[in-house]
Amino acid sequence: MLSWLKKSDVILPRSDPYPAIGCSCASRKQTQFLSRQVPADGHAGAVCFCESGARGCSHGKAIQVTLSAVDYVILVLYFAFVLGIGWRLRKTVTSAGEFLTGGHKVPVWITSLAFLAANLGAQEVVGMCASGAKYGIMTSHFYWIGAVPAMLFVGVFMMPFYYGSKARSVPEYLRMRFDEKTRGLNALSFAIMTIFSSGISMYALGKMFQLVLGWSFDASVILSALIVLAYTYLGGLTSAIYNEVLQFFLIVVGFSPLAILSVQKAGGWGGIQQRLPGVMTHAWKHVGNAQDNPMGVEAFGLVAGLGFVLSFGYWCTDFLVVQRAMAADSMSAARRTPLIAAFPKMVMPFIVILPGIAAMALTQMGTGYTLPAKGDGYDYDQALTTMMAQFYPSGMLGVGLTALMASFMSGMAGNVTAFNTVFTFDIYQSYIRPNASDKHYLAVGRITTVVGIALSIATAYLAAQFNNIMDFLQLVFGFVNAPLFATFLLGMFWKRTTGHGAFVGLVSGTLAASATHGLSMAEGKGGWLGSIHTFPSQMAQNFWIAIFAWSSCFLVTLVVSLMTKAHEESTLRGLVYGLTEIPVENVAWYRRPGPLALIVAGLLVLLNLIFL
Amino acid sequence: MLDLRIPSGFFFAITGVILVAVSFTNPHAPMTDANVDLYTGLAMVAFGGVLLALANRSRKT
Repeated sequence: MLSWLKKSDVILPRSDPYPAIGCSCASRKQTQFLSRQVPADGHAGAVCFCESGARGCSHGKAIQVTLSAVDYVILVLYFAFVLGIGWRLRKTVTSAGEFLTGGHKVPVWITSLAFLAANLGAQEVVGMCASGAKYGIMTSHFYWIGAVPAMLFVGVFMMPFYYGSKARSVPEYLRMRFDEKTRGLNALSFAIMTIFSSGISMYALGKMFQLVLGWSFDASVILSALIVLAYTYLGGLTSAIYNEVLQFFLIVVGFSPLAILSVQKAGGWGGIQQRLPGVMTHAWKHVGNAQDNPMGVEAFGLVAGLGFVLSFGYWCTDFLVVQRAMAADSMSAARRTPLIAAFPKMVMPFIVILPGIAAMALTQMGTGYTLPAKGDGYDYDQALTTMMAQFYPSGMLGVGLTALMASFMSGMAGNVTAFNTVFTFDIYQSYIRPNASDKHYLAVGRITTVVGIALSIATAYLAAQFNNIMDFLQLVFGFVNAPLFATFLLGMFWKRTTGHGAFVGLVSGTLAASATHGLSMAEGKGGWLGSIHTFPSQMAQNFWIAIFAWSSCFLVTLVVSLMTKAHEESTLRGLVYGLTEIPVENVAWYRRPGPLALIVAGLLVLLNLIFL
Repeated sequence: MLDLRIPSGFFFAITGVILVAVSFTNPHAPMTDANVDLYTGLAMVAFGGVLLALANRSRKT
């Protein structure tokens, strides 16, 4: 899962962030600006509390943003619209299927944008900006060799099997294709993981609002959770998806002015290139050797680990995103969902990464803006919020913070709606109470929504208390996820793959991931079995863990499948390449998956060349 | 089924109008001289308007 990898690298501060925050008041300009901006009238502006000290700066206070009435009006307006959409859609839910899978009638432009937004959580937005400040344009690899190629693959090659199988969830597809134990393993680990990640991001959001706005942690966690609960409870998946689209628009509208203003202030892309080292403005030039770039990765680990294993593993098998495509109203629309989503996805780096890079350039320029310090370096996670405080007046500041809230909510609703479907269909209906009435499952789906949100809140508080347990769990889930794509690849494209092969392969992949982590060191992490290799960075270690997990799962699945009895071909119709009729698309060329994917691929090559 | 363009259109149109309204009295942000509220507000009104126009057109046909 991609977010696991990102979280371990750039995330909001887990430990109590207060002692680490500083604001530089050393420069004369900054001091002038401060005296002007002290909000006597309660109006917005960045407030930096300065004391006469070593660097003229108090390290005890954060840069705080004060919202004015208009900002709150915009936030409340947004809440009202989100709830209103849920209220209007409540009548569309009359069965468990409609509540949990959207009843297959959502228009394609909506599923496409939701496909994108469900992944665009607050951690993603804040983390990508932080990563931009830390690593520069190399962060775009998460999009341009990571997400987008994987999205093309799932749309062109895998969606016919997901949608054609009529499975209601990814674990259910695994039961149809393989067997009960493979589904059970996947359903259980997915259910726990979604709750866990929604809790973690809730914690991060609460901490951030506490830090930046001075809001109460409890209030922001519980209020946002209740609003997500209200609209998902009312309208189910359809409501979550519809709101994700509104949230996506808001994210674009709320963050792109920041990208434009900050890059302009830094002298355009040319100015940034002049002020920052080349490694920050070139995506590929410095990946020949891991030592040459701040990510500490080399081209093979990057392309194979991030580009292939982790990204394909996330975008092609994670039910959270696949569920959005499966809600489309036809097979053709389901295939187009990730392909259409790929267009805005390609552009996202300009919105979320550029402000981070510009923040670094502005820090170098001495314009009065400095990225807050943390220890000897910078607190990159504050790049986005501090930049907003510098470039947005009140009003737009409200839009920006509402966008941050929206990205958090879309991420959380994504997790919750995926969780309730997998729990209801793959755990409850399969193991606890099969053959009940549809009404019963609808009720269970609704109750699960409430329980899922309650568990997320509990996890958020757990994260506040036990950082180490959270880090450990995150690591374990990474191990469970890393091999998944090998199982799907073999399962979908090689009919000889068997259930035993898939299950043993998955277990072996997880073991291989643990072993790689146990035998290697990176930045002081890992090596609990003894260290035989040291990686230049944790990111490199993560990529190689994924590569070993995938390869091991692939080989073991292959060998065990050949040693076990093949599935009857009649049971594999609609599930495997060669035994499934891929529908001929009788639509205009620009609506066919092939040409669409080629256009995206062409643009992708172009982007990589521009930022070579 | 709800046409999502209608609520989205209204949301952006209303937010845009609010931004334009406050843009004349609000102080500028520390790092820029541009009237950020005015320009983004106008863009939001335009975006909301396009969504509403599209929704209206498909409702008629």
